Amino acid sequence: MAKVRKSRAASLIVRYLILGAWAVVCLAPTLWFLSIGLRPRVEIITPQPIYWPTWSLDAWWKLWEQWPMAKYLRNSVAAIFGSVLIDLLLAIPAAYSLSRYEYRGRDDIGFYILSTRMMAPAIVAIPIFFLFKNLQLLDTIWALMIVFAAINLSIVTWIIRSYMLDIPKELEDAAKTDGASDLRILWEIIVPAILPGIITAAVIAMIFAINEFLFTLLIASTPDAYTLSVALANFTAGTDGVIYNSIALVAFIAFTPVFLVVIAIQRHLSRGLTMGAVKG
Amino acid sequence: MARISLTGIQKKWGEFWGVRDVNIDIADEEFVVFLGPSGCGKTTTMRMIAGLEEPTEGEVHMDGELMNDVDARDRDVAMVFQGYALYPNMTIYENIRFPLRMRGVPKSEQNRQVRSAAALVELTDFLDRKPAALSGGQRQRAALARAIVRKPQAFLMDEPLSNLDAKLRQAMRVQIKHIQRELKITTVYVTHDQIEAMTLADRIVIMDGGLIQQIGTPDEIYNDPSSTFVAGFIGSPPMNLVEGVLAGGTFEAPGFRVDALPVAHSGKVKLGFRPEDCTIGGDAPQVSGTVYGIEPTGDITYVSLRAGEKLVEIKTDRDYRADLGNRESVTLDTRRLCLFDAATGTRLR
Ligand SMILES: Nc1ncnc2c1ncn2[C@@H]1O[C@H](COP(=O)(O)OP(=O)(O)OP(=O)(O)O)[C@@H](O)[C@H]1O
Ligand SMILES: [Mg+2]
Repeated sequence: MAKVRKSRAASLIVRYLILGAWAVVCLAPTLWFLSIGLRPRVEIITPQPIYWPTWSLDAWWKLWEQWPMAKYLRNSVAAIFGSVLIDLLLAIPAAYSLSRYEYRGRDDIGFYILSTRMMAPAIVAIPIFFLFKNLQLLDTIWALMIVFAAINLSIVTWIIRSYMLDIPKELEDAAKTDGASDLRILWEIIVPAILPGIITAAVIAMIFAINEFLFTLLIASTPDAYTLSVALANFTAGTDGVIYNSIALVAFIAFTPVFLVVIAIQRHLSRGLTMGAVKG
Repeated sequence: MARISLTGIQKKWGEFWGVRDVNIDIADEEFVVFLGPSGCGKTTTMRMIAGLEEPTEGEVHMDGELMNDVDARDRDVAMVFQGYALYPNMTIYENIRFPLRMRGVPKSEQNRQVRSAAALVELTDFLDRKPAALSGGQRQRAALARAIVRKPQAFLMDEPLSNLDAKLRQAMRVQIKHIQRELKITTVYVTHDQIEAMTLADRIVIMDGGLIQQIGTPDEIYNDPSSTFVAGFIGSPPMNLVEGVLAGGTFEAPGFRVDALPVAHSGKVKLGFRPEDCTIGGDAPQVSGTVYGIEPTGDITYVSLRAGEKLVEIKTDRDYRADLGNRESVTLDTRRLCLFDAATGTRLR
């Protein structure tokens, strides 16, 4: 017995060591970033290592004084949430159709949707630029919304579809015999049952949208449509040279909400909700 | 509420036959039980009645009206699914209310009906829970309540009591029968449980391999099976079937000699008799063998007798006891004997 307990304790220690090491690997860059953002400019560009940093909020105040940060933030939030909304509105019915109805070419359509994700974005960059130019949408958050939505639509559809496939068909059959229309089945039975999947897909789309750079750079030419990620690129210009601490701070600002959201919905990321619907 | 008739119903998936050929007319207000081994097509047949599965061939009529192209939601049947199919995001209350809400029953009515259905299946205390927080039997009762909460054209119940303990099953059986009689709703009921079939059914439909083997009242099915399959499927223990030779009205097999059979047939046959249709001893016994095993159950004793190569089951007096290996002879109730063709299994009359 004692031996068993000892080996169990040992394995527990090993497990914690591995997890701890992994946590350090994951968190270290983030914390480093934060520390860069919270130190004066001189300190972060000296080549000598500094063991006891001085903390300052210089970069923070500078950000708000020198750049239209509120606007960047607003653009980011609007473009990202708008795009996720568009994605969900399109992807939920699309995924329902792909997972439920049998029709010719269904699998091809499914694959086509997924394949848009496999393409290198640079290929379509120029056509998209002209497209939006002709639509006179360049430099607007509407364009960003549409582009982000287009980029993420495939992945969102596929994630939602995979959750829908897990829903037993009997559930829909039951709703049908109970007299529910297709739309009602979708909104009252399917969507609530796969809510975790929808949230997962939305969060993933959000992360991709926050990090999107190429198309945003292409579409946004003035602060009117700059998002945080593109604004970062502009911090290299100006009389001050590269303002690393501001970059670090903005990166941190962009990162934090996602981090918090992921932690908050972690419970939902599991697929537990359909439990109990059917036997066993 | 509705007559249901199935004519030439088939269901094929690729090359696989789920249902081969089903013909049946179910009368208005009738209670029909489908009984058969696993995979014989009971659920599939029921789903075709509900409109959830399209027959490959054949026609479904309700009240004389062709239903093949009528959508499931317009057929107005209430179904209990084998896998319950409760809506996981809704409470039990909302689950039971769902069909009422979908069919536009007034709000005040809804509450009353949900509560009375829940009371019938003894789930009143669980209305606020989600399905995931219920036991298997409770889920099954919730599924039952969702079906009986309204007054449809027909009830379709796919093994609605399979997951309940014996006592609850008995109670629910009584409830179902009572509700069916009171509401006068045509009911199709699938079960594996013979007792359920015998007690509930107006008529029993025995299925095997996608085909109907026999349709009849419980008595007909029990006393007058049309094939060895039906004979061996119904009854517990089932009918004894002994292979032997029939010639000039006399059946002979090792350990068996039965005279004066009213059948003008000769050749290889199977003799069938129920365990309760024979008595141990008698003046002119037709079976002789040795006692192989004895199972007292309290009210009755089962004796396994080895006659020739064959083990036959006999129901006898509860006081009967004997040593294993004892010689014993048995008299058959010749009025109740059944003869079947040995090769095809069909009844010889
Ligand atoms: N969608 C399907 N595709 C292919 N084969 C199917 C499908 N549904 C059912 N089957 C097959 O059809 C046959 C009949 O199935 P069904 O569900 O009607 O059986 P059952 O009599 O209800 O059995 P059980 O008592 O086990 O519920 C089975 O062999 C099954 O494997
Ligand atoms: Mg079944």
